[in-house]
Amino acid sequence: MIEVLKIYKSFGGKAVLSGISLEVNKGEVVAVIGPSGSGKSTLLRCINLLEKIDRGTIAVENEIMVSTNANGRAEYADKKKLRDIRLKLGLVFQNFNLFPHFNVLKNITEAPVSVAGTRKQEALETALQLLEKMGLEDKAEAYPFELSGGQSQRVAIARALALNPDVLFFDEPTSALDPELTLEVMKVIRKLAEEHMTMVVVTHEMGFAREVADRVIFMDNGVIVEQGTPEELFTNPKNERTKMFIKGFN
Amino acid sequence: MKLILMLGEGMIVSVQLFLLTLLFAIPLGLVVAFGRRSKSYIIRGITGIYISIMRGTPLMLQLVAVFYGPYYIYGGKIDRFAAAIIAFTLNYAAYFAEIYRGGIESIPKGQYEAGEVLGFTRPQVFFKIILPQVVKRILPAISNEVITLVKDTALATVIGVSEMFRVTNNEMSRIASIRPLFVAGGFYYIMNLIVAQLFKFTEKKLNYYR
Repeated sequence: MIEVLKIYKSFGGKAVLSGISLEVNKGEVVAVIGPSGSGKSTLLRCINLLEKIDRGTIAVENEIMVSTNANGRAEYADKKKLRDIRLKLGLVFQNFNLFPHFNVLKNITEAPVSVAGTRKQEALETALQLLEKMGLEDKAEAYPFELSGGQSQRVAIARALALNPDVLFFDEPTSALDPELTLEVMKVIRKLAEEHMTMVVVTHEMGFAREVADRVIFMDNGVIVEQGTPEELFTNPKNERTKMFIKGFN
Repeated sequence: MKLILMLGEGMIVSVQLFLLTLLFAIPLGLVVAFGRRSKSYIIRGITGIYISIMRGTPLMLQLVAVFYGPYYIYGGKIDRFAAAIIAFTLNYAAYFAEIYRGGIESIPKGQYEAGEVLGFTRPQVFFKIILPQVVKRILPAISNEVITLVKDTALATVIGVSEMFRVTNNEMSRIASIRPLFVAGGFYYIMNLIVAQLFKFTEKKLNYYR
């Protein structure tokens, strides 16, 4: 579903991604772990077109988003195609980024209505269903400042889901939350996993990665050091670096 | 009462100066603010110099320059009222631009990114997501400028626009009394009370979110 091939990205001469290759299959839940500054978030941001890569290939459902041209530089598809691809991807941020001037319903329905061209009534119904799923049906009229962090993040998830993406990315979705609220959000993500939503979750919650992910990827210094099933990676890591990192959490 | 009627014409001109200046300066300021944030350093440079001159020289001088400038440059003539509107607009747009720019830059990057990943186009992100939040943030600063504008309209007297202050002056000499001055003072004061109330009301209206 998502193919990433040897992508490179540097910020001001400092390499952040150094030849990352990654494949995400339909219905799979992939957890990406690793120390701060390892490039996990940048990887998500590159796939979601918030950062441009220097070279490499990214494809979504066999549609090429970016590839390396003859000069060895990244060349992106045209605007129209990028927009189409973008709608297949959803991203949930660490700090929610809800729109403060819209109430919860409008936060969720605005993009379907004015981007995807969904009829308003239909978008509203979808939004209400999503809110129910998130356990937030009573918050439809609330404004973001009236919500707790956990509620905000669940609204943000509903907002991303409203566009019916093929893949949902989470960039440290619980790092801004206390343990109790973390559980609240994790529960929702777990529910989505049970429905076989394709997801890529950058996280520091090892327990969550272990329990929910089909595959865990350990990144460090801009490369994928090791990947495998949670079982393989957490109980029997092969790489020294992975061992050290996982030990630090136990 | 008779005095107020006598001065009425000046009041109307002052209010016109005020409203027309806002009408033009508010959108022009936004354009200039975009210019300040442009990718092209030429556009950034030009708008930067423009703002610097507008803020760095007296408004009174600018009024005189716009009114007499055409004559000295190519022997042309410009209507007094039009010259006043142009000078006020150019001057206030510069101040508004800086306020807008500050407001725009105060919106967290995450708001743009959230809009972007949801597929909004750049104009949609700006007008649906960013601008409404900017308006809320800059309202107090804008209200300051607008209150100053009410009083600055009196400067148009230097190029002979028959606004409130000029009419008042004439009336004072004619009837040899200071009373017109108090009427004029009352006019500016009440107009600013109204302006302040309008802003207070708008700020309250936008208090529904944080």
